[in-house]
Parts: sequence; structure tokens; C-alpha cells
Amino acid sequence: MAQPRTMDMPDLSNAIVAQDEMGRPFIIVRDQGNKQRQHGLEAKKSHILAARSVASIIKTSLGPRGLDKILISPDGEITITNDGATILSQMELENEVAKLLVQLSKSQDDEIGDGTTGVVVLASALLDQALELIEKGIHPIKIANGFDEAAKVAIRKLEGSTDDVALNKSEFHEYLFKAAKTSLGSKIVSKTHDKFANMAVDAVTAVMDEERKDVQFDLIKLEGRVGGSLEESSLINGVIIDKDFSHPQMPKQVLPKEGETGVKVAILTCPFEPPKPKTKHKLDISSVEEYQKLQNYEQDKFKEMIQYVKDSGADVVICQWGFDDEANHLLLQNKLPAVRWVGGQELELIAIATEGRIVPRFQDLSKEKLGTCKRVYEVEFGTTRDRMLVVEQGATNSKTVTCFIRGSNKMIVDEAKRALHDSLCVVRNLVKDSRVVYGGGAAEVTMSIAVSEEADRQKGIDQYAFRAFAQALDTIPMTLAENSGLDPIETLTTLKSKQIKEHTSVFGVDCLGKGSNNMKELFVVDPFIGKKQQILLATQLCRMILKIDNVIISGKDAY
Amino acid sequence: MNFGNQTPTIVVLKEGTDASQGRGQIISNINACMAVQETLKPTLGPLGSDILIVSSNQKTTISNDGATILKLLDVVHPAAKTLVDISRAQDAEVGDGTTSVTILAGEFMKEAKPFLEEGISPHIIIKGYRKAVQLAVSKIKELAVDITNNKEQNNRQLLERCAKTAMSSKLIHNNSDFFVKMVVDSVLSLDQDELDEKLIGIKKIPGGAMEESMFIDGVAFEKTFSYAGFEQQPKNFKNPKIVSLNIELELKAEKDNAEVRVEHVEDYQAIVDAEWQIILTKLEEIEKTGANIVLSKLPIGDLATQYFADRNIFCAGRVSSDDMNRVIQAVGGSVQSTTSDIQPEHLGTCETFEEIQIGSHRYNLFKGCPEAKTCTLLLRGGAEQVIAEVERSLHDAIMIVKRALQNKIVVAGGGAIEMEISKYLRDYSKTIAGKQQLIINAFAKALEIIPRQLCENAGFDGVELLNRLRMAHFQGEKWYGIDFETESIGDNYNKFVWEPALVKINALSSATEATNLILSIDETIKNKEGESPNAGMAPPPGRGRGLPM
Repeated sequence: MAQPRTMDMPDLSNAIVAQDEMGRPFIIVRDQGNKQRQHGLEAKKSHILAARSVASIIKTSLGPRGLDKILISPDGEITITNDGATILSQMELENEVAKLLVQLSKSQDDEIGDGTTGVVVLASALLDQALELIEKGIHPIKIANGFDEAAKVAIRKLEGSTDDVALNKSEFHEYLFKAAKTSLGSKIVSKTHDKFANMAVDAVTAVMDEERKDVQFDLIKLEGRVGGSLEESSLINGVIIDKDFSHPQMPKQVLPKEGETGVKVAILTCPFEPPKPKTKHKLDISSVEEYQKLQNYEQDKFKEMIQYVKDSGADVVICQWGFDDEANHLLLQNKLPAVRWVGGQELELIAIATEGRIVPRFQDLSKEKLGTCKRVYEVEFGTTRDRMLVVEQGATNSKTVTCFIRGSNKMIVDEAKRALHDSLCVVRNLVKDSRVVYGGGAAEVTMSIAVSEEADRQKGIDQYAFRAFAQALDTIPMTLAENSGLDPIETLTTLKSKQIKEHTSVFGVDCLGKGSNNMKELFVVDPFIGKKQQILLATQLCRMILKIDNVIISGKDAY
Repeated sequence: MNFGNQTPTIVVLKEGTDASQGRGQIISNINACMAVQETLKPTLGPLGSDILIVSSNQKTTISNDGATILKLLDVVHPAAKTLVDISRAQDAEVGDGTTSVTILAGEFMKEAKPFLEEGISPHIIIKGYRKAVQLAVSKIKELAVDITNNKEQNNRQLLERCAKTAMSSKLIHNNSDFFVKMVVDSVLSLDQDELDEKLIGIKKIPGGAMEESMFIDGVAFEKTFSYAGFEQQPKNFKNPKIVSLNIELELKAEKDNAEVRVEHVEDYQAIVDAEWQIILTKLEEIEKTGANIVLSKLPIGDLATQYFADRNIFCAGRVSSDDMNRVIQAVGGSVQSTTSDIQPEHLGTCETFEEIQIGSHRYNLFKGCPEAKTCTLLLRGGAEQVIAEVERSLHDAIMIVKRALQNKIVVAGGGAIEMEISKYLRDYSKTIAGKQQLIINAFAKALEIIPRQLCENAGFDGVELLNRLRMAHFQGEKWYGIDFETESIGDNYNKFVWEPALVKINALSSATEATNLILSIDETIKNKEGESPNAGMAPPPGRGRGLPM
């Protein structure tokens, strides 16, 4: 059917083409000249290309032999990392689809905390495979449907091949340690990963709530300091704060008084100053006596406050607010070491660590409300003059820990923090769900075999989608092998045949050249929920991207 | 018309005012509407695709919901705006079918265009359309199946089917079994007389897979900002007593503008103590009520937080007013604006309360509420856009279920009802004489756009399937529509592709109204835009006025 000339105008990008019968151009959408639009296959292709280029950036960071990236922010700050989520979030990508991938890795980070690189690599592999199918003329949504089905098969298989490690309590701890070690394998700290893995396991086991399987991360503090080496990092059973005692003459270490089991800590949220009404007020002083009285009143107040503290039997005062020199002096005289300007969160951590109560008023101060700890001491670092205060927890079973990380430069400290965070997450996930699968691509190979087996049983288009899904899964072990300097195809084929022959899912890529593919022997394990999450997230994102066939981007104003 | 540039122009309208009129104007308006329709077309149906829109403030939205897309397109053409309005109206009225209504309206206009070009007065077309829509609506009512009489159990099934049809075109299509349950549960948990869908709280938490979304028969909200001491409060209760307040629990100036004049230094302490007393009394009174959980719309300060921590009471300040409302609906009780007279009946309760970690946030959950007239959906998804789209899809489904509950008549979807009406109108048109015959026929043809577009989006052979559908309907198979599984046609009523009849009726009538509105406009007078920053983008005013290019 010959359409009238005026019908050719769904393309909003060109305002001049949209004309009415009189030849007058008209505008349908605001700023339509500035709007970019893509649709159909072209849009999908450009999305998939964008995804591919994102994935190719972080692909080389996958696995224990993965390499780090250096990122320089606009204000010159340098980050060195191989954590997928960190790299992507700092790249400031412009492309819409690329941004989706960034969010993908971020949500993996939020939920699981590990496997952020893998999820992006997998999503882009899926899209790559989808592109081929689209070019064959298969409807994108049908591909997405097929992928969904395939993901279900894969996860079912994965679930079947898990090992529950919580069956034996004594071995459980060992397993946590191994899983933490696996997650640290690819990070900068791999040199000292025994130490870090231990730190992660100890930290999580200290704070976890075994009954509810809940691990509250707020109670684990990560603190870093430049200087020293990674080996000097340690787990402190207590809290470190970046503060020192308010008066230089106060003792650098407070130990329990004789006869007491611990150092008593008073935790205050009120300032050491005469109380003021919050209501606007005015005091007219008309005579010298009045003035004198006021001064006395203030001094009395100070003394009274100190007295309250003394009476309660506190050894150390930790205060959220400041106090002036006069109060400081009085505290020193009364042998009350004090710390001022402690932030609210830190105060809370101290309160939890020492099992003390935060006291909002001097009058409320009593013996029961004091916290107890083993000792409070200042630490100095090398030749620098900064000091930090350590509140070390006693034998009480309260739960706050601080991972104190040392490193030769800021980049290393930051990266080590991120690495430790990842492994904390891994341990937490295992506490939540104690099933594990084997790492090193073993799980992916297992799933891939299952999916391709299932493929032949599918009717219609799903067959293609299943095969494509299996191939996408193969990308992970292949990338791992590639990054470790192995021949990807040879490795993959060996693994596959081995797994099929022996009906087990423990064979993975031997990235570190240990001479064995048996991941169970090498103790390379990943939590099951992390893997499951990767597959689900990648498939869902893939569906979302495949569904888009129309992109409308509002142009920016040209100055 | 062209007098050259010498013509002394008589200025009637302010300079810069854009005026155009005549039949050309109507056609130009129709063209504009069709451009909009064209944008929406690919999103219709279960195999419809999504549109990614980046707004000028760089916010990305991925959606398949007609109303959302049109809103974000920022349409400025006055006639095309009507389409945006009807889709919004459909959204507000029934919540679903926003794409269909736009496509239908566009198609009605497209069918009217040849008549206009042939010189038929728009009023005749309008009259014909009105007649046609009247007939169509009464036919839908006649055809629709009433399922009120069915038993209780089937009631739920019916709702699930409607919800499933509404979800079929969305991102969550593949997980629809999971979400359908959620949607029906949530609508059924509302007060069945009022059905205020605002009481279904939807919380979006990035991360996790969609299947990890949760339905909570109670309320959930994110942990509010807390002061030091909060972590020492217990985070887990069984059958707690909950008191909801609208009071600031903080040591503060009682009145903003008050000023105290202190005469003597001794009085100074008295005032300080008095202020303390005020807050302490409040706290004591709250404690005396025996409540385990204290919620307030206003901040709960550090003093109060620590006071409660000391006494094993959980507190949360700055609870948003929406959440608070739903808490009240769920746990019972009422919001108190004073602490002085809290009776036991003002307290609410629920089975369990706990604070748990979801994604990277902590959430407070109130579960198993006795008088729950509300519920909360916690949505998860890989990216913000995913969750946003899931939310929109669920909203649509919720609205559909709500409508189906109120109005228990359904029709079959998948183009079946459109085909049946189309056939009916075609038959009817043959019984009348005159121009109306043509116009009603055109209306009937326009209705076929729905099945045709469904085929096109799915990559089926539209012409072939449409012919088969026509034949099936001629043979009296009134519920035959497109079957996406077998790429052919089938009885969609038996396949449970059900939609509330109300959605269709509303879509047809508003699409026709919009068409009639646009057909009756033959002049646009547009005042020059004010000095907006975008002024430079618009073509120079008055260019080409009346001059063929």
C-alpha cells in the first residue's frame, strides 16, 4: 500500500520530516530534534556491544590469576582493585545498558558481596549468545524465555550437586576458612590469605547470631592505617577509634584497678559543661555578686559532674561531646582519662563491646551502667604522631570486632579492605546457608553439561536458547583458564569429559598450577547462594535488555 | 493565497501566535497522534518489547507500560497530548490497558482519515463512532461472563487468571505464577469493601533475584535513622505491644519562640531540671503503658533511644507517614499525639516483630497482624530499573484484580473480544443505509488492530491469523483469539486468558471519546511560548505560515 508522504514520521529524531498537509513542520515531543532514538535490531545490537565492551574490561580480573585495574578519579585519586563492583562503579559509564551492568554487579555486591565480576561476565556472555540467535531471526523474548527455563534447569542441577558443610560442627569452621580463602584467592592479599581468611572467619563467628542465622555487619568494623605491612593486620576483639586521650598527660594505657576484673568505662552523651536549658533564655546579671555566683555555680557544676563520674567508679570516660580546658584539667586531676568527640556510631560500638549503657545525664550515671573492658590503650604508629585508641574487650561474650588493616600504601589498604569485605560476605553467606559448590568454574561446567543435556529434550526454539545458555556458562571456566595462562578450549574440554566420566562436579580449572583439578581436594569452594544469585541476576538482566527494542534519549541542551 | 511579500497583513493575533485551521489541521493532528501510537505499538502483548527512555535529567526508565512511556516522552503537541491524557485516565480508572487504549485511539483516527480526505464532514464520522461504541459496549456487557455465583475457591482462581493475563506482557511474565499469588494475596488482604490499593505497601530493595521478593502479611519498612544506643535495643519480639506516636521524643525547646528570663543563678538549674522532667515524664508514661515497640512519626532523640534501650524497648523515629498509616492498619491501635493518656486499647500488636537484613539494608518487619487490612510487598531485582518495572507491572495487576473483585464479569483477552465486537459491528453495519454504514465498518476494522499488533509483535503472520480468526468468529466461536504458545488461534476463554470487562469497556469508550475530540478540532491557536530556556529549540514562530513549501 502506498502510504502518503506524511505518514513517514514515526522517526521522531528528525523534526523537519514531520510535516502536515501544508508542509508545515510540527513538533510532537518536546525537544524532539535533540532526542536520539534507536529501535529494532539496531538497538539490540548496540546494547549487546555495550555490554560486551564492559565485560571485556573486567574479564581479565576474574580468578586467582586475574589482574588488577588502576582507576584514576577526576580529582586524581587512585584506586587499584580487581573487585568487579568497584571497578564498574568508578568507571562512570555513559551508556544506558552499561549502567545496567554496573547496577547488576552492585546488587550482587549488596546481596552476596562476592562474585561481582563473574555476574557481569556471565550476563555479557548470555547477551552475546542471544545476539547470534537474534541474527538467526528468533524473537528476542522467546530467547529470554528459553534462558529463563535453562536457568531453572541449571539451578536445579546446581542445587543437586551442593555439599552441606554444616553437618559437622567441627569441620564447619574449617570450611568457612576455606571458602574465605577461595574468595581471597584473586585479591591483592593472596600472599597473606591465611591470615585474612582467619580474620574473616573469626570476625563473623564473633558477631553472628547462630539461632537466627543473622550476621550484623555493622558490628564488624574495618579500620585501615597506612604503614607497616599486610602481615601486621590483625583482628581486634573490641573497637578502635581514631582518637586519643584528651590530655597529653593522661596515661597511655588504662588497666583494671586492683581487685576489679576490668576497666570500667563511662559512656556519656552529655557534654562536660554547665547544663543549658534548650529554651531560649537570658540571664541578666546586674551586680558583681550575681556574677560571682554564676561563676561559682559553673565551677560547682564541673565538680559535681566529676564527682558523679568518680562515684560511679569509672576508670575511663568516653564522651560524645567536647569539654573545655577547665573540665579537662579537672579530669586529669581526678585521674580520669577521658576521650572526647567520639562519633555516635563508634560510641554505640563501644557500648556494645563493653556492654555498657550510654548515659545521657550525669545524674543517671551508676555502677550498673558502666561498661567493662580488658584495657584501653593508645597505639602509636611508627614515627608518625597519630595515635589511635583501642578499647579491648574482655572475657565478656559481647560482640564487636575490628579488623585492623595495615599496608604500605593507601591503595593497598583500601584494596585489602575490599578483599576482606568480600570474604566476610562469603563467610556470612555460608553461615546463612551452609551449602557449598565447588569453585574454579567447576559449578559452571556442571550446569553447562546439565543444560546442554536438557537442550535436546526441548521442543522448538527453547532448544537453541538452552544450547546458547550452556555456551554462555562455559565462558566462566574459559576465562578463568585464559587468565591463568592455560589453553581455554583444551581445559574446558578436559574438565567436561572428566566431570561426565566420573559423575561428579568437583573438577574445575586449576588456576594456580597445583597439579590437580579436584576442587574438593584443593578446597576451592563457593557458597551455593552466591552462585545461584549470579545465574538468576544475569538471566533476569539479560531478559530486560533483550526486551528493549526502542531507545529514546533526551538530548542535552546545547549550552 | 500567495500574494508575495507585499501583502499588507492584518494583524489580529499577537505576534508569534501560531494559528492553523481547516481540514488540514485535523489531518495534521491525526498524524501527530499516529506518530505517538507508532511509538507504543511494539510494546503490546506478551511478546511486546520494552522501551528504554533516558529523560533529560539522565534518569533511565525501562518500561512497557503505556502510561509511563507516554508520560516520559514529554509530548507537547496539543492533539497528541490527548492520547497521553486518555492513557493516564485509563491508568487511574482501571490501571491496566493503557497501551491498548492509545493504540485503539490512534487506529480510530487512522480509519477516519480517508473519510476526511474524501470530504466527509467530521461530524458524521463522530456520530458514527458514537453509535458504534455504544453498540460495542452493550455487546461487551452482553457477552461478558458473570462469575459471581461461583464458589469461594473459584473466586480466587478467577482473580489469579485475571492477574496472570495482566502480567503476560510484562517483564515478570515468566515468574507470573509466583507474582500472581502475591498480587491476589495482597488484594485479598485489604478491606474488601474499600479496596484501597494504597494500603498495599511496595518496598523496592535492589539486589537479589525477582523470586526473592516477599509478601508480608503486615508491614515492613526500612530501619529509620537511629541514634547511638539503638543497637542495644532488642530486635526481636513475639506478640509485642506497639505504641504509635506523633511526638518528638527529644530534649528540646518546648515552644520555638519562647524565651525564659532567669533572674537568679539558682533558678537556672531549676529550668534545666524542668526541661528534663518534661521529657522524662513522657518517657516514663510510655514505659508504663507496657509497650515493647515505640514508633513515632517524629524524631526519637538519643536520650530517648538510650532510655528505651535500658528498658528493653525497641523504638523507631521518623517513620514516614505512609508507613505509619499502614502500621496502624495492620497492628491496630491508633496514633497518639500525647503520652499522657494512653490506654491499652490504643496499643497494637502482631505475632512477630523482627529486624532483618535484606540486601544491604535492614528492615523492620511486623508479621502476622491480627487486623491486617494491609500488606507489604518487598520487591527484589538485579537493577533499579528492573524493580521499577516490576513495581509498575504489579500495580497494573493489582488494579486488575481489584476491578475484577468489584465487578465480577470477565471477557477473554488475546484479541478475542475485539474480534467478536468487530464481527458484530460489521454485521450490524450491513443492516443500515447511508454513510454510517461505512463509518461503523471502519470502526469495526479499527478494532482488529489489537490482534493484528499482537501477531506483529510476536513475529507471527498477522494476515493469515487474522483471517482465521475472522472465520472462527463467523462460525460462532466467540472466544477465539491469538494463542501465543502454538502460534495459532484458540479459545482464550478456556485457556483462562481473562480480563475484567470493565477494562475493555473503559478502553473503548475513552479511545472513542479522544478520537471524537480530535476530529472535532479544526483550529489551533497557539500563543507564543514564554521565554523558556528551550525557546531556541522551537522553529522560528510563524515560519511557513500558510505557505506550501
